[in-house]
Amino acid sequence: MSAVEISCVVTAGRDAHALRRSVESVVAQTMRATEAVVVLGLTVAGPPGTGPADSGPGSGERAAAAGFADAESAAEDVRAVADELAALDPARVRVVTSGAETPTTAVLRNHGLDQARGRYVTVLGEGERLQRDACRNLWEAAERSGAELVAGRWTPRAGRRVKEQPPARIVESELYARSRTVDDLADAPELVVADALVTGFCVSTALLDRAGLRYAEDLDRAEILFGAELAAAARRIALVPNLVVSGRAAHDPAGALEGQLAAHVRVAELPLLRNDPGLREARDRAFLTDQLVPLARQFPKLDADGRARAAALVAALPAARTDPGLRVGLPPVERVCLQLLADGDADGVLAAGYALGRPDTVASALAERDGRVYWRAELPDDPGERAAFDVTELGHQYRPFAGTPLMNHLIHCGQEGEKLVLEGRLPAPLQPLAPDASLTATLEFLVRGSDGRRAFRAPVDEVWREGDAVRWRASVEIGALLRVGGTRDRVCDPHLALHTPVGTTSGPLFLERDRVEAAGSYRARPRRGPLFGDTWKPYVTVKHHLALQLEARRRPGRIAAAALHYLTHFRPARKLKRLVKGVRRRFDRLSARSVKARVYNRLLIRLPVRKGSVVFESHMGKCYGDSPRAMYEELRAQGRRKVRCAWSYASSTDGFPTDVRLVRRLSWRYLWTLARAQFWVDNQGFPLDLRKPPRTTYLQTWHGSAYKRMGFAESRIKAQNASERDKLSAALARFDHFLVRSEHDVTTLARDYRQPAESLVRCGYPRNDRLVRARATDETQGRFPRPALATALGIPDHRKVVLYAPTFRGMPKKGRAVQLPLDVRRFAQRFGDEYVLLVRAHYLESAVLPVCPPGTVIDVSGYHDVSELLCLADALITDYSSIMFDYVLLDRPMIFFAPDLDAYVAARGSYFDLRAEAPGPVVETQDELLRAMDELKPSDTAHRADRARFAQKFGGFESGQAARTAVDVLFAGRTRR
Amino acid sequence: MTDTALATVPRELILLANATDVLGGVTAWTHQMARLFGANGHRVQVVGIHEAELKLALPEPPAYPVTALYPAHPPTPWQPRSPLDRFDLRARRREAARVADKRRAVARLGEIFRAAGPGALVIVTQVWPMEWVLEADTTGLRLIGMSHESYEYSKRCHRFRWIKNSYPRVDRWLTLTQEDADAWIAEGFDNVGAMPNALGSLPELPSPRTEKTVASIGRLDDQKGIDLLLETWSMVTGERPDWRLRVYGAGQDAPALKKQCTELGLDGSVDWMGPTDDVPAALAGSSVFVQSSRGEGFPLALMEAMASGLPCAAFDCAPGVREIITDGADGLLAPPGATDALADRLLRLTGNPRLRDSLGDRARANVQRYSETEILRRWHELFDLLDR
Repeated sequence: MSAVEISCVVTAGRDAHALRRSVESVVAQTMRATEAVVVLGLTVAGPPGTGPADSGPGSGERAAAAGFADAESAAEDVRAVADELAALDPARVRVVTSGAETPTTAVLRNHGLDQARGRYVTVLGEGERLQRDACRNLWEAAERSGAELVAGRWTPRAGRRVKEQPPARIVESELYARSRTVDDLADAPELVVADALVTGFCVSTALLDRAGLRYAEDLDRAEILFGAELAAAARRIALVPNLVVSGRAAHDPAGALEGQLAAHVRVAELPLLRNDPGLREARDRAFLTDQLVPLARQFPKLDADGRARAAALVAALPAARTDPGLRVGLPPVERVCLQLLADGDADGVLAAGYALGRPDTVASALAERDGRVYWRAELPDDPGERAAFDVTELGHQYRPFAGTPLMNHLIHCGQEGEKLVLEGRLPAPLQPLAPDASLTATLEFLVRGSDGRRAFRAPVDEVWREGDAVRWRASVEIGALLRVGGTRDRVCDPHLALHTPVGTTSGPLFLERDRVEAAGSYRARPRRGPLFGDTWKPYVTVKHHLALQLEARRRPGRIAAAALHYLTHFRPARKLKRLVKGVRRRFDRLSARSVKARVYNRLLIRLPVRKGSVVFESHMGKCYGDSPRAMYEELRAQGRRKVRCAWSYASSTDGFPTDVRLVRRLSWRYLWTLARAQFWVDNQGFPLDLRKPPRTTYLQTWHGSAYKRMGFAESRIKAQNASERDKLSAALARFDHFLVRSEHDVTTLARDYRQPAESLVRCGYPRNDRLVRARATDETQGRFPRPALATALGIPDHRKVVLYAPTFRGMPKKGRAVQLPLDVRRFAQRFGDEYVLLVRAHYLESAVLPVCPPGTVIDVSGYHDVSELLCLADALITDYSSIMFDYVLLDRPMIFFAPDLDAYVAARGSYFDLRAEAPGPVVETQDELLRAMDELKPSDTAHRADRARFAQKFGGFESGQAARTAVDVLFAGRTRR
Repeated sequence: MTDTALATVPRELILLANATDVLGGVTAWTHQMARLFGANGHRVQVVGIHEAELKLALPEPPAYPVTALYPAHPPTPWQPRSPLDRFDLRARRREAARVADKRRAVARLGEIFRAAGPGALVIVTQVWPMEWVLEADTTGLRLIGMSHESYEYSKRCHRFRWIKNSYPRVDRWLTLTQEDADAWIAEGFDNVGAMPNALGSLPELPSPRTEKTVASIGRLDDQKGIDLLLETWSMVTGERPDWRLRVYGAGQDAPALKKQCTELGLDGSVDWMGPTDDVPAALAGSSVFVQSSRGEGFPLALMEAMASGLPCAAFDCAPGVREIITDGADGLLAPPGATDALADRLLRLTGNPRLRDSLGDRARANVQRYSETEILRRWHELFDLLDR
């Protein structure tokens, strides 16, 4: 064995198991030239603040004395474990003892750094484990790049059965996404900004000696400062994507707050950050969102002392650390939280923290000033601080009172005999209530698990107004009221329904955790008898609401519960559970996609065809619309006999007709229907791996003419390997008929989907028949009265309708909504009086729209049939969507808003030059768009000829008879192959 | 060889491949490295799972022992496909024989390992032989795995699962580029590193770049994307009527490609050169190199072209390609499958002699970071890492 290359400094806290975990992970390193330096303190007391937060209520001198005795025995355990580990592998585990009087973690670590023999050092926190190959990876990266500091991923502990994940900011910044060497900190600012270097790094001893770096012994969370100093001092840093450390103590924003704040202040004072205001600002911002916002979110969990202490600590921060300018761009409630924290307003933070995850809830008495909505009535004079309270964006001013959730804060919750006495306080809603309006309320105890269908109601004794709040008081005899059965209905959630002349709003009751003790407990009388429980115990749910749980406290109930537990948990029961699980898993595997495809392609496909059966599908079952719908309606209208139709739906039958057979896409029933159908009609493609039965005719209507390259002209397809392209070819060869709208389609779509000339049906799209008819009506009768849809969407006749329909940009990342290129709010502000903006994201990919005044912006993404929307719209804004080829048939104004035209064309390729061909203005910026909207009318006449040319070029075959032609072709009964 | 290459102790090396002598890139790599290791004082032997039918012609007889565990490709394991299959006695007998053969092969491999002694390094060049390695006794040995294809390519085939199952158990395994390694790390591997292929030799003189010829070298099959190249060329030849495309290589798709060439009307500007033994000479007679592959690992042909001082245009189809070529500095890259973009790169190269010269000279200089000396040094670094 060669000399020690990496020393891992492991300091011992109070937890002997944690120490064992850490040291064993060092001994298990694949790189043998690694040593663990276990640092113990001379005195017995563990370092304060590093152990689990045990300063609960009632920690007095007595507890301190007991804690001292505990600490003594814990320290003995730790020493025993350390010695045992050293004896097992003396070459790789070394125990050193620090002689310091107050052995804080920082002191112990510094002692360990002094004693380290390796050329590199890593430091492990309590309970942290090094990944098996970590030292090898770190060492290799250091040696290869000549870096003085190497860092990799680390993960904090997660709950049971939850995978450990690195902190969100580090994942999002992609700091460790790939191996790289950083010579300038500007290339990896997150190292300082996001506290990335608190663990999971190794640093060369030479750097430590050169820069004289040690942990700050006066700091509780010295590793934060140390990490930043390391990043500042290292001449070159290597970053590796490998996991280095796992099992770090989970971040607790309230737990070690004081140390956290002190370390942050010290980091911000480092010369590195003082000389680089941008970096300092980034760090301050990150601190606000990563530390202080989670702290505010924790407020409902803390007790009153904890809240007051935390608010005071944050308020004592230097003003520069919580400057209002740092909050610009944050969501409104977060801004409010931060301002209240900076003010030290513990009660205010409590309400705002409650509202953090519930942006719809009104948690404070809002006030309207100069057209803006503020969090509360009393506002600071400073404009920056005042802006922090501006919550206009939340859109509370547009919401009706009925149904708006209000934060219902219990200010009293106590027991009087068998009665639960509740007293609560709600913020007055923004909508003005007449001062003498009658207010009444009901307490509803919703039985959990019944989806709100079962509830026990009790009247509220008193409701009165007090300043900007509504107060109420009720006392309920719990045992008599809550007559649950006692089996599955064992929890009740009290809600308060507030009735006013303008409507009712109902919501759960918020209670601080430390006040639930006062609520006592109540006798329960479940209908099934005392064996099922005898006591109602109030508790606070994870969402901070009061709830009551049925418990068994007396002997019969306890015995029954124990017996039940035994019956469901003794060995045969456990075995049975496993068996059932296994059987279910096997059964589920039978309906896996691959099994289904095999069964379909081998067995079902041999089934005889059922004469006259048609399967329709539109956009892979996502909607009931487009050309298949037009064909279906035509078929119904023709009243052909012996025709059986079925529609496929993807997940929900909402919006589909009820008088037709509906089959869920990819279900067994769907496969059966497909295998037996005589006709397939679809606009995008039945599942690619399903073969077409030999006697079935497949009519592909397709869903739009092409602007971007499609099929085998797409570079993505060209780059695929032969088998993938063969699969696509086989899927495309299933089409017997392919509808085209113009010669343009013939030379683009049909060519690049390799459709033979005889399969092309030159009739236009059935969905566009409606548009052709609408244009004829326009010319004879004008556009009014509007279709019924206008009334359904609440569009008044005096406002014009603009449809905004951008194209599909690929699926958004999981859990993220589509970001619209158009600033909808700005559009509504400018044209809200004149226009209604309908927004349609690509079919059923709903976008999140900002709150706008009611009636100005309507999300129609969920609406099934786009051609109805087109008929309704007086103008269209789109980019590259094939909707342009359809809308032009109406001969109404169009604007092409394409902010990324060149990039899009470069990435996807195009069949023609949009700027040259477009039958309307092509704009690239928001301002240009608004200007184009202003000039919509004057410029319209200029584009009329363009539109006629465009319609002729791209929709030459559209005659308004497409549905009939397509149906006729289908039933003409010719199967190509 | 230089001092850096020799600055390590002589070692016992076993290179383990699918086949000892099959015609293909990995075998060529195996023998190249075996020769290189042998010349630098290591004791090398090459072990293959089987002997191949289509043999690779080695430039010289190997100076190291070469062993094959099976005389031909061993049969794949048998699994009953239906309940009736279980009673198929013939298949069962065949399976029993296969298992017995495998046991013998594992025993033989074990002997080889034992003879090599503790501290020997086993370099498993492909993942398939791990089936035998994991059954053999490997105590005291260091196992180094390798994957000679990009992460994306593995991901799309069965080898992905094989790698996931067997490579967690090796001491270290190597991908061709760091980018691939990073992708595998994200997949949960922590014992993965990167090792590029070595450039065989550097031609004494670079190509004079005077002929108006674009060269392409590669098998005529789908993976090399010659169909895309023809499509690209049809966009180039109109504007550069005096330039010719020379396609070197043979393969099963030759008739189809020649047909496509005729259909596109390119017969007048494309020369089908057939396979070549003298790559440097072929390159010396060209001024531009084009690579139109759909998938690559760490393309040797590209490195050879750069070594000959040719400016290259290529589809950016794998991390290996972007590792070798720095776009705009020593070659030009186009997005995979984007034939119009590749045509644009070729037009830029064929239309600008100064661009050709600057890219070509830089290519020749830059590609020498993959010289045999340099790669050998990295292998020695790896051996040292595993020692620590």
